[in-house]
Amino acid sequence: MTNPLIHLVDDDDAVRRSLALLVGTVGLSVAEWPHPQAFLDGFDRESVGAIVLDVRMPGTSGLTLLDQLLAQGVDQPVIMLTGHGTVEMCRRAFKAGAAEFLEKPVDDERLIEALHECVRQHVRTRERLAADRGTRERYTRLSEREREVLSLVIKGQTAKQIARVLGVSPRTVETHRANLGAKLETDSLAQLIRRFAMLVEDADTE
Amino acid sequence: MASSKCRCLALNAKLTRVTTTLTRNLRWALLWLCATAGLGLLVVRFDIAERREAFQAEARTAHRLLSQRAAQHDAILATLALLDPAPSGDHPSTRLPALYPQVLKVWRRGADGAWPEPSLASAEALSRVSGRPALAAVDAAAGHYDLVLAGSPASFALRIELARWVPWAAWPFAREGAVKADLVHGAQRLMLQPGQEATGWRGGVTPGFVFDKALDTPSQPFVLHVQRATGPAGWPWARLSALAAVLAVMVAATAALQGQRRRRRRAEQLLRLARTSRLNALGELAAGVAHELNQPLTAVIASTQAARRMLDDDPLPQATLNEALTQARDQARRAAEVVARLRRLVERPGDSAAVQPTALGDAVRGALALLQPELRRLALRPQIDDTRATVDADPVALEQILHNLLNNALQAMHAVPAAQRCLQLRIGIESGRGVLRLRDGGPGLTPDVLDHLFEPFFSTRPGGLGLGLSLCASLAGAMGGVLSAQNVAAGGAEFRLELPLTCTR
Repeated sequence: MTNPLIHLVDDDDAVRRSLALLVGTVGLSVAEWPHPQAFLDGFDRESVGAIVLDVRMPGTSGLTLLDQLLAQGVDQPVIMLTGHGTVEMCRRAFKAGAAEFLEKPVDDERLIEALHECVRQHVRTRERLAADRGTRERYTRLSEREREVLSLVIKGQTAKQIARVLGVSPRTVETHRANLGAKLETDSLAQLIRRFAMLVEDADTE
Repeated sequence: MASSKCRCLALNAKLTRVTTTLTRNLRWALLWLCATAGLGLLVVRFDIAERREAFQAEARTAHRLLSQRAAQHDAILATLALLDPAPSGDHPSTRLPALYPQVLKVWRRGADGAWPEPSLASAEALSRVSGRPALAAVDAAAGHYDLVLAGSPASFALRIELARWVPWAAWPFAREGAVKADLVHGAQRLMLQPGQEATGWRGGVTPGFVFDKALDTPSQPFVLHVQRATGPAGWPWARLSALAAVLAVMVAATAALQGQRRRRRRAEQLLRLARTSRLNALGELAAGVAHELNQPLTAVIASTQAARRMLDDDPLPQATLNEALTQARDQARRAAEVVARLRRLVERPGDSAAVQPTALGDAVRGALALLQPELRRLALRPQIDDTRATVDADPVALEQILHNLLNNALQAMHAVPAAQRCLQLRIGIESGRGVLRLRDGGPGLTPDVLDHLFEPFFSTRPGGLGLGLSLCASLAGAMGGVLSAQNVAAGGAEFRLELPLTCTR
């Protein structure tokens, strides 16, 4: 996993530089962006980390930028910074999906705590995404009959019951179950159910 | 091009204004017209009803008089027949016309005599059947008629002249007046007085008053026909014009009152607008200043916090630490620069051109006038003791000071019971300076408040900016005056505004 990267978007050079120094003291890498548009065009969407946005910027306001980021499917958590936060602005930011809303001048403890939390959250999101992708990929390896068997297994039916439903012998069902375990790379029934129950239910309802 | 367009626009605006005024006046005129027409109609109707009543009463009187006279004719004939005077010689009947001027002629026909006119003979026959006098010839053109009573041994006849028949002394109508009176017998019409033909006003709106009634004497079956022409000429024009005048005055007064109220409302709106926009501008300024100061402060705090964290590192990151501290110093300077710029912005140049001789009392009354609604709400009548002082002051600044002081006094009195509320304003000259003392019946000022009263951002009101009195004090100072405050032993606070007197030389 790469080192987490914090994107700082603020048009005020002094504020941005100072915040970068502050964030740097806890060992996080910082990318500074004076222009919202340049940030939107240029930042690495694959990197792990968080985004810090100033609400009041010329051209594109922080809230607009937040909307654009989420519309583009950016999954890095966003921390909003504002000099004068109204309740309305705060509500809008959280509704739009901001992870945190901090007032300037910002307290170092709170900012750093928020950044750590965001990074942790982002790492978890990325891991879950990777796991999901693996599960899906393994599921596609199954044959049509194996998927039927899997569905019934997850519903809690025994080999005999499955054999009756599908009109095959219990031994054939056992064979399918063994193949399933191998293809899906699971060792136990419990693991099988935990990882694939949701996926199978989604597939069945489709 | 631009100037002509501009002129055109101005003209347009003027036109619109004129049209608005015209429309408004037209509306009032229309209201007046409608009211006058409506009430006038009522007046005319009442007047007509009243005159009709009077006419009917007069016509009844005329009818009674004529009926009495007609009965008299019957009586004369009956008396003649009863007495039956000698057929020749000095017959008393020849003296009758002297007694009764309406009797033109008296005829007597004995058993063998004959009537001079055939109509008398046929009437006598009728009379003999009915047993009462009968009407013979009626001569409408000559204005007389004959009446016959058959009797034995002699029958009598009278020729009666209409003009003398009518008892003019007691006659209710003026002879040359508007009333037309006739006695109608069949197709014949005997004129009593011509009057004016009352066939009705053209269009027949008012056919006039009409009275038709047969006389009470069956022997003389005349129908009294009385008619009085009515119409616009007979309307009570004096009363109608008085009504129109009164209504015009009322409408004009209402219009004037409305106009005044509208103007006052507009003035109040303008005042409110000005105050709001001033507050908005102030809010805008405050927000701008807050942002301008907040940015460097954010940088200062973040840099120093970063620096403090770096102190824990081993080895010390010299270069970064240096950068952080330099950043902090520069940004602190930036904040100071913002403050200096702000001060230059709000600093008023000593504008002595605006200072002019101002009557302190007039300024006070002007400021009070603006607070009338608030004074009414508090049921407060300010006591003004004005011994006259003319001071050198900027009228706008003075108004602002007075408005603020009065507003504060009124605010202070919201908290106390109504009976305790009072507002005393004393204007005079004290040791060569114009002085206004403003005393309220509020709770007074605590020692703590007194100490900080004129400091900026000090306010006892929740949400107050705390700039009012500080502004007043600096405005007074700029005009060479002094604003001070103290508590009054009797309760309440007293503000004292001192300004330089105008040099009379």
